[in-house]
Amino acid sequence: MAENSIVLGMADLMVVNAPVKLVTLGLGSCIGLVVYDTFAKIAGMAHIMLPDSRGLHGSEKVGKFADTAVPAIIEEMLRKGASRPRIKAKIAGGAQMFSLPGASPEFLTVGAKNVNETRKRLQRLGIAIIASDTGGNKGRTIEFSTSNWMLKVKTLGKGISEI
Amino acid sequence: MLNDKQLDAIKEVANIGTGNAATALSGLLSSMIHMDVPETELVSIYELAEHYGDPLQTVGAVFVRSTGGFQCSLIFIQPEDDAGLMVELLLKQQFGTYIPINEVPQDLTDSALAEVGNIVLSSFLNSINMLLGTQHQISVPGVAHDMLSSVLDVVASIYGQMGETALMVNTELKVDGLSEGKKISGHIIMIPDPDSLGLLLRKLKVI
Repeated sequence: MAENSIVLGMADLMVVNAPVKLVTLGLGSCIGLVVYDTFAKIAGMAHIMLPDSRGLHGSEKVGKFADTAVPAIIEEMLRKGASRPRIKAKIAGGAQMFSLPGASPEFLTVGAKNVNETRKRLQRLGIAIIASDTGGNKGRTIEFSTSNWMLKVKTLGKGISEI
Repeated sequence: MLNDKQLDAIKEVANIGTGNAATALSGLLSSMIHMDVPETELVSIYELAEHYGDPLQTVGAVFVRSTGGFQCSLIFIQPEDDAGLMVELLLKQQFGTYIPINEVPQDLTDSALAEVGNIVLSSFLNSINMLLGTQHQISVPGVAHDMLSSVLDVVASIYGQMGETALMVNTELKVDGLSEGKKISGHIIMIPDPDSLGLLLRKLKVI
């Protein structure tokens, strides 16, 4: 069966049935989180921008923050028929695009905080992180295919890897 | 949320800053610089890259942080080819002879690009601080070559902490007098800290 490609924008979060290809373009400090259940044939992706929603008002997209995106995507997986012990996760992104010698402002290291918070939230829900490609100083474009449950990561100047 | 009068006032300040940046760049490159009227607009943080072009386009970008009386972050962003031509032009000025960019080590071309960004952004800032009567210190510049969307994540994450809208003060500079078919353009993006934005609006008497 042919796979439809779905491109997720900033702060988008989506859970769909296979066959499908889930794509996020040009992740810098943002995180591309993939969760999937190969038995139920369901996959989800979220494009997370920031680690935590504390101090912000409620009306924003749940996919924007790691602390709201992770529980929301797992809940949606379960609602669509996934089983929690079978759900696996892969993550990519969380780069630091600019480094200033000396004291860098805090917001330049938001990528690392995104990675930490996403990992912590997944661990708290008992979701295994099977593979990750995070950090560094380069942006990433990612594609997750339910034909082989692999996450293709394209990095400028470094080529393509599959995790 | 900012009103039209406030956006116009910020635009006027950006116009003065850009004029100063164009003069400095013109001196550095011994070339005529054409500047556009700046745009000040409120853009959804979820659509920043799409708003400014192809999210996957490779760009060369220089980031600086300014502290002092008027705190802000600034980015000078160019299509990668334009950044390359800019560096070639600068190297030609410095060494008196044309050096193809692919024969120069990247750390050298990056430091040349950082120098261009630094001069453009610090001249932009000087005029704003002069207007406000504030003192400022500017950080050492950071350089990135990457997808537009990845670079603008920096802007999205700054504004994302506060809400869902980014105030984009964006202005374009173009180098004139290049051989046919060549162009160099670059955009200055200013991201004022919330307190500094308040200071600016009070000084301009639009708050």
